[in-house]
Amino acid sequence: MAAEGRSGVVTAETRAAAPMRLYLAHERAILGAIGIVLFLVLWEGFERGWWADMLHPLLGPQAMRLAFKPIFFSSPTRIVREAFRMVFVTGEIWKDLGWSSLEFMLGVSFALAIGIPLGLAAGWYRRFSYAVEPFLAALNATPQVAFLPLLVLWMGTGLASRVLIIVLLAVLPIAISALGAVRTVDVRLIRVARSFSAGDWLLFRSIIVPSAVPFLLAGVRLAVGRGMIGIVVGEIYGSAAGIGMMINQAGSRFETDKVFVGVLAIAAAGVALVEVIRCVERRVEVWRPPVGT
Amino acid sequence: MNSPLYERYLIGGGTLAVFLLAWEFCADSGAVDPLFISSPSRVALAGATLIVDPDFWKDVRVSASEFIFGYVAATVIGVPLGLAMGSSRRLSYILGPFVDMLNAVPRVTLLPLLIIWLGIGIWSKVAVVFLGAVIPIVISALSGVKTNEARFLTMAKSFSASRGKIFGSIILPGTVPYIFTGLKYAAGRALLGVVVGELYAATAGVGHMIADAGNMFQTDTLFFGVFVFTATGLVVVALLDRLERRFERWRPKVGAAS
Repeated sequence: MAAEGRSGVVTAETRAAAPMRLYLAHERAILGAIGIVLFLVLWEGFERGWWADMLHPLLGPQAMRLAFKPIFFSSPTRIVREAFRMVFVTGEIWKDLGWSSLEFMLGVSFALAIGIPLGLAAGWYRRFSYAVEPFLAALNATPQVAFLPLLVLWMGTGLASRVLIIVLLAVLPIAISALGAVRTVDVRLIRVARSFSAGDWLLFRSIIVPSAVPFLLAGVRLAVGRGMIGIVVGEIYGSAAGIGMMINQAGSRFETDKVFVGVLAIAAAGVALVEVIRCVERRVEVWRPPVGT
Repeated sequence: MNSPLYERYLIGGGTLAVFLLAWEFCADSGAVDPLFISSPSRVALAGATLIVDPDFWKDVRVSASEFIFGYVAATVIGVPLGLAMGSSRRLSYILGPFVDMLNAVPRVTLLPLLIIWLGIGIWSKVAVVFLGAVIPIVISALSGVKTNEARFLTMAKSFSASRGKIFGSIILPGTVPYIFTGLKYAAGRALLGVVVGELYAATAGVGHMIADAGNMFQTDTLFFGVFVFTATGLVVVALLDRLERRFERWRPKVGAAS
């Protein structure tokens, strides 16, 4: 009897707590969504004057300060409308996106082509690393965008200077991670291969490269972020096309909606690229036995 | 193999010297117009004239205050925020999307907006420095709290330590290395913010000086400006390293402690 009564109580309790359990199971998503929605409503309310109207009886004319002009902060609905217009109606965003992607691809490809061999060589040959380390350290400590006026002086404001600034920004994380990757290769593996008289090339191909890949991909992920900075900075400094140029131009015309659309486009591209690299990382890591250390 | 340290300095210094000499030779022999590439001696000369120029010190003061205001504000807000987000699951659920969102955008993209809001004076640069630096600081403090040794926490709880006690004596000391990693990374970001902000729109500052020098083909001044930034980056990271060692002195030297 006692057991029956108890189980009855338990079912009642669980039934009562069902919404609570649903909440607990999705707490992260629910709280996150609430935060974002509140933020968007707050923002929209400033632009539409909701808060000014609401607080008008309390604060009097002071409340009008809470009604922001759209040219300053825009609003979520305005941004969505502008984005829809630029993407589907006029399609003007595609040309800028195209130019920026071209710069980005060229820049990151060059950075990979220079950074990987440089880093691997510096990791493998001790003397070579002594020679290049001072340069890498100095370049790493410099905000590389400071070279932009120099690059523009050398090559004008065309595609070349923008590609080069991306290379300059992206090459360091790649080279440094490649260098670190070679240095952290398991020495035992190298000794085994050497004892079986493996040549340098075989050693490189079958041990160094596979164990360097995860490090390298982490470096590439950093380089992608740097490359995005390169796009924006290269284009806002002086350019005739691209997302950064669009943002810059819209900003100087106080078209805040358009600026936000550009910022969101860059954020979306950044998130997408990082996700792609994460996918590759998981793909590449499949063969590796999971170890605790 | 006998004296690797000696060899390291010899080769490193040698390459650097060869590089500088080659640069000097290229410019002096007229192989490349020095107007474009300047040369080490010209850069040194430009530095010597700039150092006695009060205008240059005004630029340095402006850039330094942008960096310091933005970076200090980022530290003062970012570290407690990261610690709070790491300690409270709910807070991290609410603020997480915003931090991720800001992390996905290169913060320099917001510069045109910040200029609309704050003008082309020092405050738009302070804001971009702050935004650039605060995100890595928050994220590293947050992940520092998350990776605390579970054994220590279990033990403290078994001895019924209070929340405050646990935070002060376990979580905070365990997070210090992470916070410093974030601070060092953020210093680079902050410097980037100063440069980009001043290249984009400014009336003073070392970045502004570089942009001006570029427009007027004064490559010597330009290189010296870049060198000033390099030196600043090196000094800031060295200072943070020292500070970190000071905070870490109590930690017993163990191989496994990372």
